[in-house]
Amino acid sequence: MSNQRDFSRQSFLGSDSEDRLARLRVAIVGLGGGGSHIAQQLAHVGVGEIRLLDPDCIEPSNLNRLVGATQADVDAGTPKVDIARRIIQAIRPWIKVPIERQIWQKAIHFIQDVHVVIGCLDGYQQRGYLEGAARRYLLPYVDIGMDVTKVAENVFAVSGQMIMTRPGGPCLHCLGFLTPELLAREENRYGDAGINPQVVWTNGMLASLAVGEVMKLVTPWFPTHEPYTWLELDGNAQTVTPSEQPRYCLSTEVCPHHGGRDGLGDPFFTLAKISKR
Amino acid sequence: MKVLFRATAELVAQVRRDLSRPHEFADERVGFLSVRAASGYGHLVLLADRYYPVADQDYIPDFTVGARIGQDALRKALETSLIDSVGMFHVHAHDFPGKLGFSRVDLREQENFVPDFFNVCETMPHGALVMNETELAGRVWLSKADIRPIDEFDTVGARMEVVLGPRSDDTNFYA
Repeated sequence: MSNQRDFSRQSFLGSDSEDRLARLRVAIVGLGGGGSHIAQQLAHVGVGEIRLLDPDCIEPSNLNRLVGATQADVDAGTPKVDIARRIIQAIRPWIKVPIERQIWQKAIHFIQDVHVVIGCLDGYQQRGYLEGAARRYLLPYVDIGMDVTKVAENVFAVSGQMIMTRPGGPCLHCLGFLTPELLAREENRYGDAGINPQVVWTNGMLASLAVGEVMKLVTPWFPTHEPYTWLELDGNAQTVTPSEQPRYCLSTEVCPHHGGRDGLGDPFFTLAKISKR
Repeated sequence: MKVLFRATAELVAQVRRDLSRPHEFADERVGFLSVRAASGYGHLVLLADRYYPVADQDYIPDFTVGARIGQDALRKALETSLIDSVGMFHVHAHDFPGKLGFSRVDLREQENFVPDFFNVCETMPHGALVMNETELAGRVWLSKADIRPIDEFDTVGARMEVVLGPRSDDTNFYA
């Protein structure tokens, strides 16, 4: 098996982009329809370490969108992290792929020392929690999600978003993405087209936007100064546009939702607990 | 275990701005960064929290070194560490060409005062940093006697910069 590397087709990303990507550690939380696409793309671009967190095994209903999954995986009930690791290492065997088969809150050490956290989670509350963890460890957070809403009989609106927030900038609450009303509504329903509707092409579009955002963060292919990115996908028209929502919601330059005293690091950290080897 | 130091680009820029201000008689300025910490998957993560510049009046005239700070400056840093339970990192800048690193005087002086922080906050790592316009370098104390180089520096801004430190277990690697 050859480990030969040739990134000439993406050399426009910067003369040292291959090294930048090779020393990058990215955590993907959720390896379903969106996360599996992202894992595959990060392997292609040459990210050196991709950490995978998901407690679930594949189910028959996942096969409509989970990249890399096979009928044999469904029959065997293969863990989603194992499927993603298999596809990553089939593309580039030298990539490190640590996995955790549990909810991310029980594997927080997996997130603390990466460079970017990508959230592909069901549920808005969970997104808020994960972004909070990213803030606590001074990490950029990239979020994707899609929704399907019934707008008339046999008519559905497919939509989605990719949002990147980073320490020092506005968070999902500041931007008006996570609102008290939305979080309350989540208690009652997820989508109108059945439980958690997802389709492969929309997942793929959102995943590509997320990977593009990671590349903007870590490679110098063009100047960028934005404190956040929020792109909205209209899945019916198949168009992507910057969200207008922050224009109406963003009122403060300093995020009041994260940080402050004891807002950084592990609150239970002590040197006595660490392995010094 | 490797050691990772992470700060926002905004905080690093604030430190650079402060350290580049002229002083009445000192050739360079000094400050302290408070840090929080976490133990990740194979890394000790040091998270820069706040910057504390040394006040103008807390410098002592000494033309044999770039800057000498008095007991008041150290006392204030020790108090911050004690009250907030944070690690403290001494920071200064070297704005001359060549490989970024500590001078022999830096190394000697750090070994005199950094261990004192363990008298007020023994649960957190403490250390020293040096920076120039583009880079950071430093070392961390995990106890009064356990000194390690910082292996990686992450600056988090619109661009995520990940810079690896020197690969050596020799704590005099910058000399």
